[in-house]
Amino acid sequence: MPLDTSTYNLALLRVDGRRWNELRRINAQIRTQAAADGSSYLEMGHTKVMCVVTGPSEPGPRRGGVVGSAGGAGGGGGQSKDAEVVVNIVIAGFSSVDRKRRGRGDKRTLEMQSTVANALAASLHIHLFPHSQINVSLHVLSQDGSLLAALINAATLACVDAGIPMTDYVAACTAGSTSTYAANDESADPLLDMNHQEEQELPGLTVATMGDSDRVVALVCESRVQISRLEGMLVVGVDGCKQVREILDRVVREKGRRMIDEGTVEKGTGLNDMDVD
Amino acid sequence: MASQTHLNLSPAELAYLHASLSLTPPIRPDGRSPTQYRPLSAETGILPGTNGSARICFADGTEAIVGVKAEVEKTRARWDDETIFLEGQEGDEGAEEDKEKEQGGNREWVELTVEIPGQRDDDSGTIFLAQMLSEALLADGAFVERLKINRGWHWKLYLDILLISPPLSYPLPLLSLTTHLALLSTRLPRLKSEGDEDPFFDDDWAAAPHLYPKDRKARPPVTLLVMAVGNNIIFDPAKEELAVADVALAVSVGDSAERTGKTAEDEDMEVDGRKLRLLSIRTVDPPSRLTPPGVPNATNSAYGHAVAGPQQQKMPEARAVESEAVEGVWKAPRGGAKLAVMGALVQKVLERGGVADEVLDALEAVDLS
Amino acid sequence: MPREVEPSLNEKQFVLQALQENLRLDGREIDQYRPLELTFGDQYGVADVTLGKTRVLAKASAEVTVPYTDRPLDGIFTIATELSPMTSPAFELNRPTETEVLLSRLLEKTVRRSNALDTESLCLIAGQKCWSVRVDVHVLSHDGNLIDAACFAVVAALRHFRKPDTSMEGGVLTVYTPAEREPVPLSWLHSPFCITWSFFGDQGEIALLDATWVEEQIRVASCTISLNRHGEICQIAKLGGTPVDAVALLQCSGVALTKAKEFSTYLDGKLAEDTKKRNKGGLLAELSAENDR
Repeated sequence: MPLDTSTYNLALLRVDGRRWNELRRINAQIRTQAAADGSSYLEMGHTKVMCVVTGPSEPGPRRGGVVGSAGGAGGGGGQSKDAEVVVNIVIAGFSSVDRKRRGRGDKRTLEMQSTVANALAASLHIHLFPHSQINVSLHVLSQDGSLLAALINAATLACVDAGIPMTDYVAACTAGSTSTYAANDESADPLLDMNHQEEQELPGLTVATMGDSDRVVALVCESRVQISRLEGMLVVGVDGCKQVREILDRVVREKGRRMIDEGTVEKGTGLNDMDVD
Repeated sequence: MASQTHLNLSPAELAYLHASLSLTPPIRPDGRSPTQYRPLSAETGILPGTNGSARICFADGTEAIVGVKAEVEKTRARWDDETIFLEGQEGDEGAEEDKEKEQGGNREWVELTVEIPGQRDDDSGTIFLAQMLSEALLADGAFVERLKINRGWHWKLYLDILLISPPLSYPLPLLSLTTHLALLSTRLPRLKSEGDEDPFFDDDWAAAPHLYPKDRKARPPVTLLVMAVGNNIIFDPAKEELAVADVALAVSVGDSAERTGKTAEDEDMEVDGRKLRLLSIRTVDPPSRLTPPGVPNATNSAYGHAVAGPQQQKMPEARAVESEAVEGVWKAPRGGAKLAVMGALVQKVLERGGVADEVLDALEAVDLS
Repeated sequence: MPREVEPSLNEKQFVLQALQENLRLDGREIDQYRPLELTFGDQYGVADVTLGKTRVLAKASAEVTVPYTDRPLDGIFTIATELSPMTSPAFELNRPTETEVLLSRLLEKTVRRSNALDTESLCLIAGQKCWSVRVDVHVLSHDGNLIDAACFAVVAALRHFRKPDTSMEGGVLTVYTPAEREPVPLSWLHSPFCITWSFFGDQGEIALLDATWVEEQIRVASCTISLNRHGEICQIAKLGGTPVDAVALLQCSGVALTKAKEFSTYLDGKLAEDTKKRNKGGLLAELSAENDR
């Protein structure tokens, strides 16, 4: 599906009407689910992700492969001195425009699982929970670009809800660049928070940073791009992560305030006020 | 087929549960009456990218989301009447073959997948769940009939069932109810073409009719989980109740009003509407069979009673004594269920104004956005 | 499941402290690779790469098959990686470990998704016949930095590879044996190389190139950058781990570019050498049916 990106130069507006440095609408909720230790729901534009965290708990019987786990040196069945972060991503068949089913063995999903697990492990104080396991299961309900970033953000929120000690938020977003790699023009503008159409057409990368700092937890680029553009994209991406962090922080604080107002920190309060659409 | 919900209950706890559930009326751990479902919150049309979607949250926190996506697909070439004629087959036989082929094709028009977090997608438990749910849908031949566009084309329906929460209790009732709601909210674009020409559709989503029109009585099937302890019949068991079940059944019921014209007329005469019909039954192997037995005080050394020596234990009489039921001591159920109990279970489900009726009424009341 | 033996606490501290003092166990500079050696096999398309004690063998092969129905104009190109128990007891057959999945994804993104090989040129008859090029990567010995070595081996093998010449006449496809016509090289667009940085220290402030296995086991994060000598990044993967300053990452990418240029020059030299060796009588130019473009 070729996308006409040439109009960008005319009005400096992107296909969905945003300017280069605008994030899409981010809507997030925490404690959406009563049964889990921590849960969250996150929308970045039309990308919708749900996350459920259970643990830290005693590692159960091992199911599935070892891929997608981080922390713990080798993590041999909870024998390590660090907690093991096990991430499980389910991409719903109905999440994309054309229905596509991905098996559990899909390498792209496995790579994302491993990335999310390692990014979380960098922030969570896993050394406090030896011989245990933190299970993070992520459900992708709808995808429209910036999937990995949404997954990392949702997982961070759910870990906050689960009350697992962590250094800071791991916030992620994507950055791209106008015009494709072939055109060697220096005037290309960086773009913030790419949607699916832009992701198909333009080079881009996903950045995750630790809290307010400029320190990069994860950096994933999957498209061909001139090395000279990297700096611009990275700067915009890191800046976007800070904005995302602010939004995540607001979500957590607001929920906390509401829980205090209600006077009860009873689990399940978030059950009825969740509005998925 | 074991419903794998890991639950660590001691034999004493199991015995207590079993005893309280065998009372008349039974006392359930969460105080529900035997026919009462867990309270739930439900919503539909949550995902604009799908043809139909629903989300249900049970009060114990388990949550499921179902999305339905439809694609237009070419119906696989069948034998045309002429071909059969040319081949000089007997008309009768050909027609029969024709019908069989169509049936086979029909079944492939629906694809149903279940995703349970932390479980592999080829896990036998997951496959069994998917099988039970699709069986209920397909048992009713009328469902695939709805997917037919014309002779050459049909809708292919993909049902993706996601359990969002960790599998706390056996998720069958939750998944079935959510699927039911999602199907109720499913809309397919309005057909603009006529007859057997290549189909094209109205772009206006607001004009798209529901797969199950609201004004008609027809409803998708629901699968209920029912279990029996002693002579008590208990609906929608929680996991700790399932852990002491003597027998557990997954019973799928449909509304027979949708059948042929004749029954529809019958239905018109019916005052209170629904005519429940049994679609399928599956026994679910309750985890109670895998629970460890308790030790009666009489043979417990902690109470100062003489323990059977090792040589004595090897003797057949000693083992016979051990397996004998002692009041208040948990022993995993062995053997099958009594036919009378099974009959009573099914009867209870199909009862007019019973649980199935109630559940269907409740789901109908959900606002279809 | 068998596990890799971890380095002892003493060993870890020793290596780390040495690194703090800018020293590596084998005396290299922090941005210095171990000696890289490439040998081609007797056959076309076999490349054996050694990087210190790490050794990777890649073999390219091609066969004529039917293209995928959704891409009738493209040939098929696959990279198969297998880490066998021969390499390390931690690897098992038919059970991909995280290392293996990440390695194959990286190679996939670096070589295949960056269009290093022009898959359209592999098409013989649209929708009916195409070449299926396959590279098998065998890791013979693992002493760290598998990714860089494997990627180099794959690129070398593919550039060295020659597929049988074909011709189309009146809808009849003829595949010539090497005796009839000299095999032709693949249509190669650019050569990407992976350069992996390993980070050490609490803040990830020490960055190393070409980590050995011991160093890999105690590193806190890693970042693999794939680029070609034209300065085009094909892929970057820093998949979690201890956060590293964004400016440091940019510097890493700059150094990576010079390394990629070195690799590229080395590979070009080796390929030219190999051609000279094969071209003993100077007959190759005459045998080749290929035109100079």
